[in-house]
Amino acid sequence: MLSLCLCPMVVKMDGKVKKQQKRHQQKHSGPKAEKKKLKKQEGSNEEDERKRNPKAFAVQSAVRMAKTFHRAQDIKAKKHHIPLVDRTPLEPPPVVIVVVGPPKVGKSTLIRCLIKNFTRQKLGDICGPVTIVSGKKRRLTFIECNNDINTMIDLAKVADLVLMLIDASFGFEMETFEFLNICQVHGFPRIMGVLTHLDAFKNNKTQRKTKKNLKHRFWTEVYQGAKLFYLSGMVYGEYQTQEVKNLGRFISVMKFRPLVWQTSHPYVLADRMEDLTDPEKVRTDPKCDRTVSLYGYLRGTYLKNKGQVHIPGVGDFQVSDVNCLPDPCPLPDVQKKRGLNEKERLLYAPMAGVGGVVYDKDAVYIDLPASHVKQQEEEVRPTTELVQSLIDTHATLDAKMAASKVSLFSGSATLDSTDVNEQNGEEEGLHEQRVWDPKIQRERRKVVFTEEKEDDDNSGSSDEDDDSEEVEESGGEEEQEVDENPDEDALSTFLKEARSQCNEKERGGAPPVKKQKLEEEIAEVPVFADSDDELEKSEEEEEEEDTGRAGDSGHCSEEEEEEDEEDSDEESGEESEGKDDEAAESEEEEEEEEEEMEEDGALCWKEGLQQKASEAFLRQQQAAPNLRKMVYGSVVAADDSEEEEEEELGGLFRVSRPQKSKKTQANALDCSHFKADLSHNWDLEEMLNSIRDCFVTGKWEEGQDAATLLKEDEELYGDFEDLETGQVHKSHSGRQDEGEQNSENDEDDDAEETQVKVEDEEVQKNKRLEKKRRLKERFDSEYDDGEATYFDDLKEEMQKQAELNRAEFEDMDDETRVQYEGYRPGMYVRIEVPSVPCEFVSNFDPHYPVILGGLGSSEGNVGYLQMRLKKHRWHDRILKTRDPLILSLGWRRFQTIPLYHIEDHNGRHRLLKYTPQHMHCGASIWGPITPQGTGFLAVQSVTGTKTNFRIAATGVVLDLDKSVTIVKKLKLVGYPYKIFKNTCFIKGMFNTVLEVAKFEGASIRTVSGVRGQIKKALSTPAGAYRATFEDRLLMSDIVFLRSWYPVVVPQLYNPVTSLLLPVGQKDSWAGMRTVGQLKHDLGIRNKPNTDSLYKPVVRTQRRFNPLHIPKELQKALPFKSKPKQQQSRGKTPRDLQRPGVIREPHERKVIALLQALSTINNYKKKKAHTVQHSKHKEFLQQKTKQEEAKSKRQKELRKKLYRAMDQKDQKRSRSSLKGAPQES
Amino acid sequence: VHTQNHGLEYDGCNFFRQRLVLSTLSGKRVRIKNIRSKEDDPGLRDFEASFIRLLDKVTNGSRIEINQTGTVLFYQPGLLYGGAVEHDCNPQRSIGYYLEALLMLAPFMKTALKATLRGVTNDPIDPTVDLLKTTALPLMKKFGIDGAGFDLKVVKRGMAPGGGGEVLVTCPVRRTIKPVQLRDPGKIKRIRGVAYSVRVSPQMANRIVDSARSVLNQFLPDIYIYTDHMKGANSGKSPGFGLTLVAETLNGCFLSAEMSSTPQGQGDPVLPEDLGRNCAKLLLEEIYRGGCVDSSNQSLALLLMTLGQQDVSKVLLGPLSPYTIEFLRHIRDFFQIMFKIEVQKPLEDERKGGDKVLMTCVGVGYSNINKTLK
Repeated sequence: MLSLCLCPMVVKMDGKVKKQQKRHQQKHSGPKAEKKKLKKQEGSNEEDERKRNPKAFAVQSAVRMAKTFHRAQDIKAKKHHIPLVDRTPLEPPPVVIVVVGPPKVGKSTLIRCLIKNFTRQKLGDICGPVTIVSGKKRRLTFIECNNDINTMIDLAKVADLVLMLIDASFGFEMETFEFLNICQVHGFPRIMGVLTHLDAFKNNKTQRKTKKNLKHRFWTEVYQGAKLFYLSGMVYGEYQTQEVKNLGRFISVMKFRPLVWQTSHPYVLADRMEDLTDPEKVRTDPKCDRTVSLYGYLRGTYLKNKGQVHIPGVGDFQVSDVNCLPDPCPLPDVQKKRGLNEKERLLYAPMAGVGGVVYDKDAVYIDLPASHVKQQEEEVRPTTELVQSLIDTHATLDAKMAASKVSLFSGSATLDSTDVNEQNGEEEGLHEQRVWDPKIQRERRKVVFTEEKEDDDNSGSSDEDDDSEEVEESGGEEEQEVDENPDEDALSTFLKEARSQCNEKERGGAPPVKKQKLEEEIAEVPVFADSDDELEKSEEEEEEEDTGRAGDSGHCSEEEEEEDEEDSDEESGEESEGKDDEAAESEEEEEEEEEEMEEDGALCWKEGLQQKASEAFLRQQQAAPNLRKMVYGSVVAADDSEEEEEEELGGLFRVSRPQKSKKTQANALDCSHFKADLSHNWDLEEMLNSIRDCFVTGKWEEGQDAATLLKEDEELYGDFEDLETGQVHKSHSGRQDEGEQNSENDEDDDAEETQVKVEDEEVQKNKRLEKKRRLKERFDSEYDDGEATYFDDLKEEMQKQAELNRAEFEDMDDETRVQYEGYRPGMYVRIEVPSVPCEFVSNFDPHYPVILGGLGSSEGNVGYLQMRLKKHRWHDRILKTRDPLILSLGWRRFQTIPLYHIEDHNGRHRLLKYTPQHMHCGASIWGPITPQGTGFLAVQSVTGTKTNFRIAATGVVLDLDKSVTIVKKLKLVGYPYKIFKNTCFIKGMFNTVLEVAKFEGASIRTVSGVRGQIKKALSTPAGAYRATFEDRLLMSDIVFLRSWYPVVVPQLYNPVTSLLLPVGQKDSWAGMRTVGQLKHDLGIRNKPNTDSLYKPVVRTQRRFNPLHIPKELQKALPFKSKPKQQQSRGKTPRDLQRPGVIREPHERKVIALLQALSTINNYKKKKAHTVQHSKHKEFLQQKTKQEEAKSKRQKELRKKLYRAMDQKDQKRSRSSLKGAPQES
Repeated sequence: VHTQNHGLEYDGCNFFRQRLVLSTLSGKRVRIKNIRSKEDDPGLRDFEASFIRLLDKVTNGSRIEINQTGTVLFYQPGLLYGGAVEHDCNPQRSIGYYLEALLMLAPFMKTALKATLRGVTNDPIDPTVDLLKTTALPLMKKFGIDGAGFDLKVVKRGMAPGGGGEVLVTCPVRRTIKPVQLRDPGKIKRIRGVAYSVRVSPQMANRIVDSARSVLNQFLPDIYIYTDHMKGANSGKSPGFGLTLVAETLNGCFLSAEMSSTPQGQGDPVLPEDLGRNCAKLLLEEIYRGGCVDSSNQSLALLLMTLGQQDVSKVLLGPLSPYTIEFLRHIRDFFQIMFKIEVQKPLEDERKGGDKVLMTCVGVGYSNINKTLK
């Protein structure tokens, strides 16, 4: 459990203390009150302020007006979002509602209450996603999110709506904020807060206060005005019905925003998982990789078959098969009524044991109605219906189709329905079947058309007909065998294959490599194989079927034209196929063109050109219907057609062609040129005429013909007046109009003609209306489009695109449609994933969500990512470079080793040891390629809640690359060993000459700041070099070279495999430890570098050499600065020493007296001086005083004088103004 | 085709460029086996090696492994880097061979491409640089790849055996590609062309022009064929001449045809008159095929449609060339995208050439993962 006291932000939600201000008091009497009263009365009769007070609304300043206009426009433009194409599916998948909150806050209770509210059903254990139908157009999937950060991260990525439960009696807990931050990073879904435990408050006032505080804190986190719901209390262990109902209403009308990641990736929140692995294999090797199938609604965007998916917590997988299943929880059919009836309120939660399948740890129990006990492991109700339909159809159409055989010529092979009726599976619903596949040793489930079973029998019985194409076909069918023993089935497949191989060998058929290819094709793309079968249908069946059916209408249009006999039609269909293949080849190999033509018999180039042209034309036309087959009908079919042809057209043409193996074709010249059809002779007038209309000089379409357009224009703009001549031209129709009217007036009486007139009038009226409409259109387009902004245009364009997207494949059946588009969001799909680790199955816990996230085209690869990262401000430690970090990026959670860096002013990425405290920095990792602009978050560990706030950093992907350019600073140090004037020899920086050579010209520096340059390597001490400096170096100087050393990003990409851990320990995934953790765990203490330790500084006394001035300089110096030649004189010689004077006693007395007298005198003098000094000081003081007084006096005097003068002046000026001269 | 843990496997050296280009764009690795394994001279040819080298220059971090005999190639794509690239194309194939692939990759690079390609500019096998300039570039502009930096310049012209030509290609990068609806090509309003000659008499070009005009004048008066005679250093190493014709429609579609003289010392020499006439007929053939996209650029158009946003794109094409058909299959392998192919037959009284094919697809929602986010 989280302890709340750790977190600082929980404690104080609202620290503001409002200062009480004096309230405004309205006046009830007095002039102000009167005025107001009057204003109120007047205001009612004069409503338009602009009219009443026009001055106030006049333009005061053009600048300000421009400013306000700009501002208004800015605000308007800010509201615009970049218009996007609306790609929401017509029948959307259920809305994913994630219920989050710390433990014991009431999540399960809330889900239970909501489910009960919507479906009137009670659910015991909430386990896995629960899907319900909540309204006519909305389905909901509830899923509970536990306290594990892995689950929180995964569910935040798939959530449409988050119900965030908060225990009001306790306040916010860390989980809430963590989840909010996760949401912010991965796209912000709708978030609704729900306060529970409100009954814990005894005091009503504290409850209100807490509510308010919590609400405001919630608002700052989500957005201002975010909805916070209150659940006041429990009644019999459930929330109050009315409140739950209100919450349900909120949910069912809520709108959701499209999130970038979700709308660009398909994903499935799996609500059912099944292990498809062969039980025998599991028995022999319990640790073998499993094949599992996962079920769920497809969300996001189109899912392509055989794409790559990531299952968070497990890893990356290649999907082996995707099927679309009938919706287990369908929306009600469109009916005009208000609510849902009880039957339509469906609930589907297989993991929780609802919906027919009960999930248990080691088994799946299916609850089915008694009548369908035979069907094992089937879906819920809709599927059983399907089974019913399957059984029904068997007896009817298939039998008929299989029975019908056609022989074209007597003695030739009969054509049975197998190669004809592959297509009519569209009417029957697809069905899921379990089939034993001998090749991959496992059970497969297959979407099947019901009638194909019969064909299988047919092909078995037909004697030599099983050519390779049919093998392919039957291979597909084999998988769809329903009731037969799987072993027998496998046997028959093998037999058939063997037989077909034999046949081919007899005929000198394809080399073995090709055969192998064919088998691969069968195994790999059953879906495509099915699809081409479907299109092979000739129109024989088409006639039988409803013609209104959707499909590629172009494919059969040609054949429909020739509706003579069914037999010949069918044959032509066959022929066209063969020919078309030939045509393709002939085009591919120009060299063998002639040869091939001869083979074809009809296409001899020496014959008449006309015939040739028409032949080619025909051939192309025949090629058209099977174009799709030719392109996608797998290479196998194209190859096999050679053999097939020999057999099928056996009676007529048997051509012996040189073996043109696939090898030569595969190694042909790679060239995009499309060689011209030689049969077209452009000298003939006929050919030239065939393209006449492609030119502007040719005939135009009815609507665009110049004549018509001109006429229209005349109608519109026909009337004009020639201003020069004054002649008025009337448009033709107008004149006619008038004439008509005149004539009408004239012949008003003629009764017999009135009828005609009326009709005419009608026509005229219509014409006029049409004209008016067109004029209006023109006017609109001229004036409205001028108004339309770029934004409007863009929006309209997007709208058009969205409509086109919707309409394009709308009338197609699902089976074909998924091939073009992929599986649509909203479909219930079954995804088969091979080679999943066995722990996924053995440790499966339905409480943990299983998400299949589809990956984009190159998102399965791993490379270097450059990201912008910021340490989360609530995480209490900065992050260290090379410490492993767990990132959640895209669908993935993985551990990696980031290097942090910052960009210098010159674009260099400099390595940082730690992330900055409050700043963004770059981070480079080795990880999965994810599109730029994708957000990520980082946690240091996914186990437990050791830290206060688990989210360590957030950021965004900036760049993907296969190499990184992070550098760190490197200082190379060297020492001078010989110093010339500015040149030095430096050693110790490099080891070899070669190293020096690489750095020639590099700038170097001493510690004291003297700059220099590396010049050349020296030979003798290896690695020494000559360098020049701007000043003379000292021997004690240290020289260093500042350089940048590229850093390698460690290639660690370790996906967090939390779902593979045993049940109950899923939140204890531990990856690589940091160095700090390792040291802590192993008890290793860092030994500091002894150089780094502090020790007392002992400085040696520096001795300086005496100053030496060169002689030349000395000479030039002025005497003052010249060094004086003051040598110590040494001892004076004896003879020069003066003898001491010894005084007589009298003399001594005299001197003493003189000394005494002088002392007295000195003293007197000193005394007198001090006295004098003090006196002078006094005098000075007095003097200044006097001065001051004097100046003051003078000032006053002056002031007086000036005042007088001023007065005089004023008087004078006044008098001069008055005009009366006055004496001063 | 064999899928093997997130990689594809192919046989033979045909469609070599397609596979490597699609592999680079989709990020799927590819292994090509049995490259001319049964021939006297097995393994990759020089021009293929040169192509791989070019691919290596524009990508970063791709891994290419070739076995000793050169019959097996493994390619693990890196990220497209772009920038300034110089490449000496092997003269066995013309620059068009390299350029076709390069144009497919160019909008998806990290930095705008500025490539200088040297080699053979015109030869009879591949689409020449003039053809690509007049057709591929306007086509790409329709997909939103435009701007000042989008250009193809023929600096020097080099004819087939010797080469010595030089082409400068610049292309800006785009994050996404617009979906297009090209359903109506419109009528042809003008025909333009370039008749070029190097190291032969400048009169050759005029003779070509005259003969080509004689054919085309039956349809349209608005024909202008430029003569381009390059001299001196710009004339490459071999003599030769040729003609490129392009027809522009009212809706801005370009159809083109071209013909070059046979390389010196290979095959029979051609008369310029014949060449002009035949080339004009090729253009008529191209017009007969019709569609909004030139037959040699079909694959480029289809690729850009595939790499568009998750919206429906439609393009009307002439009959699909074998190269395009294989390209469609490859697109299915690499991007799991299938095209809806509808054949449009001409009406009874319509005189607009042969069958057209309307190709429809939903884009994969590709976004350029190489471009740096600032």
